[in-house]
Amino acid sequence: MFEEIYSRYASQIFRVCLGYTNDADQAKDLVQETFISVWKNLPSFRYDSEISTWIFRIATNNCLRAMEVSKRMPTAELPYNLAETLDESPEEKLKLLYRCISELEETDRIIISLELEGLPQTGIAAVVGLSHGNVRVKIHRIKEKLTQKFHEYGQFK
Amino acid sequence: MNMDNLNDLKTVWHTAKTDKLPTSKEMLKLIGTFRNQKLRNKWLMIISCLLFSSLIIAVLFFVSFKEITTYIGGGLMVISGLLVAATNIRSIKRFKHLDNCSNLEFIEFIEQTRQNQIYYYKKTMVRVVLLCSVGWLMYLYEFISKYPIWLFAIYSIAIIYLAFLWFIIRPRSFNKDAAKLAATREKMETILQQLKNK
Repeated sequence: MFEEIYSRYASQIFRVCLGYTNDADQAKDLVQETFISVWKNLPSFRYDSEISTWIFRIATNNCLRAMEVSKRMPTAELPYNLAETLDESPEEKLKLLYRCISELEETDRIIISLELEGLPQTGIAAVVGLSHGNVRVKIHRIKEKLTQKFHEYGQFK
Repeated sequence: MNMDNLNDLKTVWHTAKTDKLPTSKEMLKLIGTFRNQKLRNKWLMIISCLLFSSLIIAVLFFVSFKEITTYIGGGLMVISGLLVAATNIRSIKRFKHLDNCSNLEFIEFIEQTRQNQIYYYKKTMVRVVLLCSVGWLMYLYEFISKYPIWLFAIYSIAIIYLAFLWFIIRPRSFNKDAAKLAATREKMETILQQLKNK
């Protein structure tokens, strides 16, 4: 059972943690911490909520608890001439996406990561603890903020 | 690729490499190593306090002392040990309820934990140290009361040691943790504000 859950969710949890930390090593540590909690609490899980909601709740709470994360977060700006020289490779696009997300507020990072991961908005609302309507509005605003950031980095067609 | 389109963003998002994550078998091995680490210190504290209290009770029960101060002193030390154990047990029980809570509930939990820590420093720790110190000084009385020089020397050393703990070590540790707690409070308030903003 655990191995099945791990195989299914580990990559998703890693991407969400990476969205929060923008640091692959720290994201890996958070994945590990998440699955230690999952393993410990799986026998008492009552299935009165979706297992995915439960796992994402654990993962995002771990992210929020990692207070020191913000200190380690790369805050340096991209080079000034980035807009002219930006590489169009998928790796660079990915780096830019994660960088833009890491510049958002903590809860925005969680919400957009879960949205990009493909969780339904009701699921995101259950993970974060807000109403569905509130989450929908927030996602709309976060998308605007991201668009603005892509504009700033000259990555907008 | 259009970075403004959510579907395009999702495509980019999913290109993050995850092949360096441990396999499920490796994860199970890791879990075996770390599973109990989180609350280990709390459990160690509970076990030590219970052992200490049991030991004192056994000594008071099996050894017949002449002075009432020995029994009162032992009793006070037992109470202080049980108080620390109870506080830590209550804290572990709170953590058990964390299994399935939303981010909002989690942040409220952290805030409550912070307030509990402050209460622990300001009230519980004062009671524990006071009970244990007075208990210890009373417990020693019977053994050294017949030797005035020893009585003076041991009580002087004990009082200096307790004063050092109380006036030097405790404020230092409190100040160090207070800065940490203030930083946590600031961070929590920011995140709560983010969640409550419509």
